[in-house]
Amino acid sequence: MNRKIMAVVGLTGVAALVMTGCSATPAEPDAPVTITYTNFISNDGNEANLAKIVDAFEKANPNITVDVTTLPYSDYGTALQTDLAAGTVSDVFDIEYANYASYQANGVLAPLKVSNPSAYRQSLLEAYSTDGTSYALPSSFSDVVLYYNKDLFDAAGVSYPTNDWTWADEKAAALKITDQAAGIWGDHQPVSFYEYYKVLAQNGGKFLNDDGKTVAFNTPAGIEAAKWLVEKSGTTMPTIEQGQGTPDFDTNLFKDGKLAMLHTGIWVFGAFTDSPANWDIAVEPSNGTKASAVFSNAIGVSANSKHIEAATKWAEFMTSSDTMVQVRLDSGWELPPISDDAKLATYLDKGAPANRQAVFDALDGIALPPVVANGQSEMQDIMTEELVEAQAGRKTVEEALASAEKRINAVLAGQ
Amino acid sequence: MTLSAIQPIRSDQDPAERNSRPGHSRATAPLRTRSQKTKYALTVLAFLLPSAIPLALFTLGPMIGAAWISLTKWNLLAPQQFIGLDNYSKLLTDPRTGEIFLHTVYYIAGYLPLVYVGGLALALALNTALKGRSFLRGVYFLPVITSWIVVALVWRWLLNPSSGAVNSVLGWFGIEGPGWWTDPNWAMPSIILASAWKDLGFVMVILLAGLQSISPDLYDAAKVDGAGWWRRTFSVTIPLLSPSTFFVLIISLINGFQVFDQVYAMTSGGPAGASQVVVQQIYDLTFRYGKAGEASALSWLLFIVVLAVTVIQIRGQKRWVNYG
Amino acid sequence: MAERAVIHDRPRLTPRQLAGAIILHAIVIAGAAIMFFPFLWTIITSITPDASLTVAPAIIPQNPSLGAYEQLFTERPFGLVIVNSFVLAAITTAVQLFTSSTAGYAFSRLPFRGRGIVFAVYLATMMIPLQVLIVPLFVEMKSFGLLNTYLGALLPTFASAFGIFLLRQAINQVPHELDEAATIDGAGHFRIFAFIILPNIKPALATLVVFAFMGSWNSFLWPLIVLRSPELQTLPIALAGLQGQYISDWDVIMAGSVVSVIPMLAIYIFAQKYIIQGVASSGIK
Repeated sequence: MNRKIMAVVGLTGVAALVMTGCSATPAEPDAPVTITYTNFISNDGNEANLAKIVDAFEKANPNITVDVTTLPYSDYGTALQTDLAAGTVSDVFDIEYANYASYQANGVLAPLKVSNPSAYRQSLLEAYSTDGTSYALPSSFSDVVLYYNKDLFDAAGVSYPTNDWTWADEKAAALKITDQAAGIWGDHQPVSFYEYYKVLAQNGGKFLNDDGKTVAFNTPAGIEAAKWLVEKSGTTMPTIEQGQGTPDFDTNLFKDGKLAMLHTGIWVFGAFTDSPANWDIAVEPSNGTKASAVFSNAIGVSANSKHIEAATKWAEFMTSSDTMVQVRLDSGWELPPISDDAKLATYLDKGAPANRQAVFDALDGIALPPVVANGQSEMQDIMTEELVEAQAGRKTVEEALASAEKRINAVLAGQ
Repeated sequence: MTLSAIQPIRSDQDPAERNSRPGHSRATAPLRTRSQKTKYALTVLAFLLPSAIPLALFTLGPMIGAAWISLTKWNLLAPQQFIGLDNYSKLLTDPRTGEIFLHTVYYIAGYLPLVYVGGLALALALNTALKGRSFLRGVYFLPVITSWIVVALVWRWLLNPSSGAVNSVLGWFGIEGPGWWTDPNWAMPSIILASAWKDLGFVMVILLAGLQSISPDLYDAAKVDGAGWWRRTFSVTIPLLSPSTFFVLIISLINGFQVFDQVYAMTSGGPAGASQVVVQQIYDLTFRYGKAGEASALSWLLFIVVLAVTVIQIRGQKRWVNYG
Repeated sequence: MAERAVIHDRPRLTPRQLAGAIILHAIVIAGAAIMFFPFLWTIITSITPDASLTVAPAIIPQNPSLGAYEQLFTERPFGLVIVNSFVLAAITTAVQLFTSSTAGYAFSRLPFRGRGIVFAVYLATMMIPLQVLIVPLFVEMKSFGLLNTYLGALLPTFASAFGIFLLRQAINQVPHELDEAATIDGAGHFRIFAFIILPNIKPALATLVVFAFMGSWNSFLWPLIVLRSPELQTLPIALAGLQGQYISDWDVIMAGSVVSVIPMLAIYIFAQKYIIQGVASSGIK
């Protein structure tokens, strides 16, 4: 029996080889096929909305059936990795941008012939292409903006943030508004990898060198960007000991009207609709270069799918069809990744915040997270850990960045 | 192994067996004939196979699979590459390996005495004539069945350095509380405290069941001899509870070496890796860092350590475990 | 001991004993309050719409509402997953009672050459973390064609070294005189097992019911990986599904947590009667 198990386990590797080697045989155009789609994007409340899109697709393509499996977001990665290891992955599956490079480099994703590339926002489509070929299609996006509480700005006699604000403007306002004795804080921005690569870009710096093999942030610009994040803590932003960094801490503070500015994603609009605070949004301030964080999910087709053509059709429908746009906008299920802003016009009138235009303005200058084929999560973990060390005062910013540089370079070198 | 190879050990062959299980040799008379031997062997198999088959197929099998993976470089995506013992030599030369084992041992050293002494006190208290003790036993069992997600949220709040209940109470006595889970030196004590709190009910239930097998006559006899509650507890209860204690000890050690959920939920191994433990590292290596080979090798190192500790415990039990 | 001690002791309480009893009550009840607090917190959060996590909950929730519970059973398939989890846990518990008691009997009463080593191998199956077994186990189940089936989810739970060890310890404590008496009466091992041993280890069997049921009820990683169809999914996976990619509704998550604890608590209360019942009723002195 033991030998059998070993053989089975060994075979997995062989199977993976075979999968990547053979391309799909074209299916007969009219033969009915069933494709499987594993997703996390509809989990937590959008299952029925996804079903609507599937129904519309099956109506338009009567010979294709889509079999949907929905998994919790938090454990989707574990399940997907197991499927990829065992060769049981669905024809079509969700991925996040951070994993794209790794999946593409390891031959997991089929190259896609996109029938209408101009339907997509180019920056998003390009994020999921390698050497000019698409290996996944963006399915939605969200960006990060600056939320602000008008009442607190009014009380302190400070004018509201605009899209042209710089770090200096933000800092001056935050210092003026912060009143620790009254429990009023001026600013909140997480201290993490996901904020750091962005503020680095806002300061004209780069996270990785062009060859992608070493980091490029341990420079005066990188140190200044890290200080910008870290030094908010304890001056205009609560410290870790005061609760910063625990789930929902920042959004609750904002909701309760005790926080003047908050850097977070547009996904919390819904959470603030009942807030008594009088709030709005603006594009995040910069220090020379406009750079907003964009988070996107995408859909890939398995390289060993037997129905690549049908699977691609579904992937395109799920990411660019008018049905999808309608369903997403009607239900407030993130933003469709399409290029035609006219179709998104209704989004601007969907209630608070008033300045929804900022969501699109932010896209004029975006920063995508640095991605590597091997060691993505480890790189992110190290960066966050070192920044938090500096935030907690256990290291200076310079020491933390030097240590992060050394450790991440070792990871990227495959050690 | 042929059937006739399975046969009873005569008690004079193995003094240890005789000490730990007095009387068994009297129950099983020596088997003389071949057919008697075969029948005995079949009996043993009938009792063992229902558990042996699932364990062999679904635990030992995958363990061997993991042993094979530990000899390869594998990110779960691309084909495996055989690299011999490289994963092991890498782990054994990496100082980080020693650190995460130390954190794990630190956890066990803090957790085990707390949970055992607490659980024993609770079992003894709830085995006496307390009013509403059925209800109380239920309440003390509640944390055992509450998920770590919820427990971790509550404890992070209780142990919040600036606004938490624990530091507020310490403040009344003029003590400035520590940074708890935000401080690398206090992260592990925070986890230990929450874990012991959560598992008290588990130990209580095992020990309560163990207390039931102690014959009331022994207490009556001790009472007649004039022994007070403390003496009865230390000279009757605790010695006769030793099989349950032994069980709790072994299980807590095995589970303690595999501590994961609470670390993941409370600190994710932080700050700065100060509470990173072996299984958290294994999880990260497998599913987040694309190093399934290294993760399997680390699991086998863990296995060897746990096995060694368990064997030492089993050897040592003869000195103190009393099967009555 | 306890049940009898109650009757004997009560009339004879001296002032010192009375003071002791009061102090004991006070300590145990204060401890219980601390144990109960997080659960209370969970309940309060679950009935507070837009619950926030970072501040201590109000003792009296504002605008209490059962909306979160309603959501669980209307918008979410909680009715279905509770039934699924219950069925799986019941089967696991029944099978483990059988495999653990038979193996426990063998390890306690049936000596054979190499038994110590076999027992060590059994215990060793607890010593490798599940996280690294998942991928090989999944590949194995695939080769058996058991992916996405209840059998695939159940098979690895059929034998538990924990349960076997627990029952072996309990059987070790059953006096050998009882077996011998039965042997003299002509009983074989199967009869001794069924009629002498099992009735005498009821507290341990009840303990195993609690832990086997709980193990299955809370098991997450393997069911997540092996059961994918929505109609097969279990409670912990549905609970995990309440957390979103970016934001979570804490009142719903806490309501789910309360709903998941209650059946388990019921099992415990039911089993507790047998855990405590103990030796007194089984007729041994």
